Amino acid sequence: MQAFINEQELNAMPAETILEAARRTGHYIPTLCELADIDHRPGTCRVCLVEIQRKGQDETRVVTSCNTPMEEGLQVRTRTKKVREMQRLQVELLLADHDQDCAACIRHGNCELQDVAQFVGLQESRFARWTLPMERHVDISSPALVRDMRRCIRCFRCVTICREGQAIDALEITGSGMSTEVGLRNGSSQVESDCVTCGQCIMVCPTGALAEKDDTEIVIDYLYDPQFITVFQFAPAIRVGFGEEFGLAAGQNVEGQIIGALRKLGADIILDTNFAADLVIMEEGTELLSHLKEGRRPTLTSCCPAWINFAERHYPDVLPYLSTTKSPQQSLGMIAKTYLPKKMGLDPERVRVISIMPCTAKKDEIVRPQLNHDGMREVDVVLTIREFARLLRREGIDLKALEPSTFDNPYMTEYSGAGAIFGTTGGVMEAAVRTMYYVLNGRELESIEISALRGFENVRTAQIDLHDEIGIVKLAMCHGLKGTRAIVEDILSGRADFDFIEIMACPGGCVDGGGQLRSKKSYLSHALKRRDTLFGIDRNAAVRQSHNNRQIQALYRDFLGKPQSELAHHLLHTYYTDRKQTLNRMIKDVWREVHRPLA
Amino acid sequence: MARVHYGVWNGVVHNNRGITPIDIPISSELSGIDTFNEGNHIRAFFGDKGFLVFDPGVNLLDALWRHMAKAAQESCGKCTPCRVGTRLVLNALDQLRQGKKPPGSWDEIRMLAEQIRSTSLCGLGQTCATALLGAFDHFRGKLEEDALTSQMPQQYGMAYMTSPCIEACPSKVDVPSSISYLRNGKPTHSLGVILQKYPMAATCGRVCLHFCEMACRRNLVDEAVNIKSLKRYVADYQRSLNTYSFSKSMAAPAQPPNLRVAVIGAGPAGINCAYHLLLKGYHVDVLESSQQAGGMAERGIPSYRLPKEILKSETDTIESLGGKFRYGMTMGRDFSINSLFDLGYKSIFLALGCSQGALLGSAGEDPSLEGYVSGIDFLLQVHKHVDGTRPMRLSGDVVVVGGGNVAMDCARSAIRLGADRVHIIYRRTREDMPADSEEIAAAEKEGILFHYLTHPTRIVPENGRLKEIELVAMRQTALDPSGRRGVEPDPGTDRLFKCDLLIAAIGQQVDRAALTPEDNIKVNKRGLIEVDHSTQATSRAGVFAGGDCTLGPATLIHAMTNGLNAARCIDDYLHYGRVRFSPVNRISQILKDNEMLANECMEVPVKSQVRVHHPELDPEVRRQMFGEVEQPITATQAYAEAERCMRCYRVYSVITESPIPEGHTLETQPPAAP
Repeated sequence: MQAFINEQELNAMPAETILEAARRTGHYIPTLCELADIDHRPGTCRVCLVEIQRKGQDETRVVTSCNTPMEEGLQVRTRTKKVREMQRLQVELLLADHDQDCAACIRHGNCELQDVAQFVGLQESRFARWTLPMERHVDISSPALVRDMRRCIRCFRCVTICREGQAIDALEITGSGMSTEVGLRNGSSQVESDCVTCGQCIMVCPTGALAEKDDTEIVIDYLYDPQFITVFQFAPAIRVGFGEEFGLAAGQNVEGQIIGALRKLGADIILDTNFAADLVIMEEGTELLSHLKEGRRPTLTSCCPAWINFAERHYPDVLPYLSTTKSPQQSLGMIAKTYLPKKMGLDPERVRVISIMPCTAKKDEIVRPQLNHDGMREVDVVLTIREFARLLRREGIDLKALEPSTFDNPYMTEYSGAGAIFGTTGGVMEAAVRTMYYVLNGRELESIEISALRGFENVRTAQIDLHDEIGIVKLAMCHGLKGTRAIVEDILSGRADFDFIEIMACPGGCVDGGGQLRSKKSYLSHALKRRDTLFGIDRNAAVRQSHNNRQIQALYRDFLGKPQSELAHHLLHTYYTDRKQTLNRMIKDVWREVHRPLA
Repeated sequence: MARVHYGVWNGVVHNNRGITPIDIPISSELSGIDTFNEGNHIRAFFGDKGFLVFDPGVNLLDALWRHMAKAAQESCGKCTPCRVGTRLVLNALDQLRQGKKPPGSWDEIRMLAEQIRSTSLCGLGQTCATALLGAFDHFRGKLEEDALTSQMPQQYGMAYMTSPCIEACPSKVDVPSSISYLRNGKPTHSLGVILQKYPMAATCGRVCLHFCEMACRRNLVDEAVNIKSLKRYVADYQRSLNTYSFSKSMAAPAQPPNLRVAVIGAGPAGINCAYHLLLKGYHVDVLESSQQAGGMAERGIPSYRLPKEILKSETDTIESLGGKFRYGMTMGRDFSINSLFDLGYKSIFLALGCSQGALLGSAGEDPSLEGYVSGIDFLLQVHKHVDGTRPMRLSGDVVVVGGGNVAMDCARSAIRLGADRVHIIYRRTREDMPADSEEIAAAEKEGILFHYLTHPTRIVPENGRLKEIELVAMRQTALDPSGRRGVEPDPGTDRLFKCDLLIAAIGQQVDRAALTPEDNIKVNKRGLIEVDHSTQATSRAGVFAGGDCTLGPATLIHAMTNGLNAARCIDDYLHYGRVRFSPVNRISQILKDNEMLANECMEVPVKSQVRVHHPELDPEVRRQMFGEVEQPITATQAYAEAERCMRCYRVYSVITESPIPEGHTLETQPPAAP
């Protein structure tokens, strides 16, 4: 159908919105609540205004372009004076309702609300002085996430990603009028809720309303207190997700610069979580082989803490299927507080392990009671990649200006290609297959890159012949919790026919974890680039199987004995608990909230 | 006799300021808007299309503040202009009406009002500022005068927020609110809104005639929001999770023990009356002649539309709340009105239903003839078949006479019981059929044969059992003054029609044995109990009645509404000896009399979104069984459907001469928080 935008004729497609048509034809319209990547257009911010004139009508109307469809003969004007004034007024109204302490905000300088204010030419915020009450909640109950509803602009992207993207549906929209905000279901606090702290809501939040709990201050305390020996580790996906923050190309491997930055920060010991990924493969692969021999199936991976939260809080019946092997982060922490002090002659009491993770749920993981021993945490602090960037800025370090450096610790830094690919969906599976094949057959798998495992669909399945007594194993890999929910329901109803299932809670795996850098107006835009770099690291690695990592071999020889030994069991395995909430509400309590008094 | 002093309505400016009131012509467009309650004149009216002032003494500024206060209070807070704008405007008006300087200028207030109207997401924001803008644009001088008043104005009145779907619902369920709660991730609250009106939400979500959907403005875009299915979704979802509960403790603090109420009949009207009385803390006994609760919803609706266990779980609410069912108690046989009063009941609600089938009036009609059965008795037999107490098998030709839902239920049940052919005979056309169109469509899909403009004139038995019937074709007559066509037999079209079972489903009557002259209850010539429809009061003090025994065979929702209304009136009667004035019913009546929510249109294009439909069992499968035909919708579907609601809220308010007396509110009040 024929229509016009800014007097330029175009052929509008059926069911196309004005915004879609404008974007397709290069007419910019400012938006705020909308996020096309997750198909989200709630129409709440009312910023994307345009003026329309319907065919055969003289009068014009102002409508939001995000949810108004094109129609035959429609004239759309995006830049009339009226439109510009109304857009500007809308942003003023948004700010009248907003905690404008921007300099103290975690999104300062990286905020979609600030961007849109610039676009509409905001010069003053008239209504801020009309002093409106701010009765919205700040929830700091969780070790992982902070919710500051004074900074919420009610775009509800978080609700959509939680409900439709991750199928957790832990959020609710609550309150009315100016006190409307997003809360946890049934009025729970963040820490007591059904939330699994995957952090995907943070990845779509346009402002500072949702953020990781900032722990940089603790790290600075450790760095400058001589009684502590600081031990840093960083996850496989950190090195491919960090460069953009300092103006380097997306997906570029900045492992060397990160080591340099840590050294400049004053880190005492720099270790690699990739090393622990290899260790996990030794333990988990052995565990899986024994399950296969016993005919126990399926076995589910246990390295993703948001997945563990999901299983414990939503599907406790699936817990018996989980591998007992701790995650790489926790395994590294445990070894750094036992084996490493022994080797290096350190006092383990003085060791503080600091992880840099692409993940918010890792902050949850370190406080699990099972992973704390007489007051000693296996890992002391987790920084997301965003906090790590903040830490470098606070310490005046520019990553881009640093010369790449290399690891110097001889005990816990070497990694195989298998450990490196832990950061992407399918990586754990591929690493495990390489080692299990070797254990069973006494020789390496020939075609080492298993393309059957490398797709990107949310749920993928494959069959691999391990030969020997095991033969063909049925595998599944799942990233994102929506697919996970489906696969868990299949397991519990007996429909699933798998031996080993890898689960990563975030879509894409850790390369797009909830602790990665935020992007504005897009979602998962760099996943594939980061993934390709990880595959590249594997391809170029001298050692590509976990069991061939010489430092791992030394660890077993000098300390643990063999995989699944008593000591290994003690240090590297854990257990899970049912944390499902049941709620029974009296309808009268609900009525108290829904009752509408007559004015 | 409203004389519009000044105002703006639907873009038309009325300005009779300075004219002697008796010289102002009486408005021909407004009706029934002189007084609000008896002797309390309406001084001004505010709504979605503007405002009208009938009394020059009205403080317009204060009145606009009151109107905007309702909007700001009800704002859902999602879209920017309504959330922030209404509050800013309200604050400024509040300063102005107190004679203080507002934070911004008059022009800024107007600019905000325009932003609210032009850019809000839902009907509330889009319409709440219209009156204010009309006043600012045409009567700014009056507002400035009002702002100079140094003392706080003393005005009375009330404000009411509603929508076309709410006004279309006999029970006035707050549909947009229920849907918003679902969308907001609060399904228990969504259900809570419905439970404020009646406990049978899952039942209503299956069989309601959904007048709300007929009024849905989404019909102007694509199709109505599937309100009925969303209601079923939240009710089923909550029940499956067992996340809410009723208990005796949730009722209001108990009423004096002597204030006992007897409810006669455990159908939808009786159940709902008992429910609301129990919530108000009364001691309630429900007397029912059969052995189970549910009335026509239990006997009259087959389980493929309403599984019995769902209905039972909802009628059980009465017992959870501390009410008692006394089964096997038939009025006129086991007790009478007098005997109930003698037993100490202070008030009685008659919800007797219409349980006797009406006769066709055909020659040779004999209800005892083998092969003849009334629709309602047939459904009772079907019920016994389904619960296994008396299995039944049909064959040959079954003829159902009638065009209502009972006729459809009989026909669809007959096919499930093995009839070779099932016919529906209806004297008018398909368009005239009172049955729910979805029921007609479902019957057609299942292979029921429809014969329109046909009527049975004679019943032909052979060896003491029905064999054939004589049918005559009907023809339509000219339009009568009410715009409806009558029908008359077309002479000479008589024909014999093979019929192994004739089901007369043309209507039902009150059981004539229930009431005796000693009961002293007036009935009309149709045998229905006469009541004042605003109070449900019968001719005898303390006795109220509702449901089919007052309406004739009607719908579930009308029966439940009668029960709700009766509970309020019985509560008033027991406490005040009279039924109080109801402000919300009155304002609702004003809207209805003046067709305020009619003639809706869409002024801007709205994106089409597909309506969710229940997955249905395949007709070939379901013809064989009585399992529920409509399957549940998923959470994803429910959220998507909830997104289709446009929340067509509008605020209406009145300014009156004196305070509006307190009456019952629209919802059952929760007990005060401890």
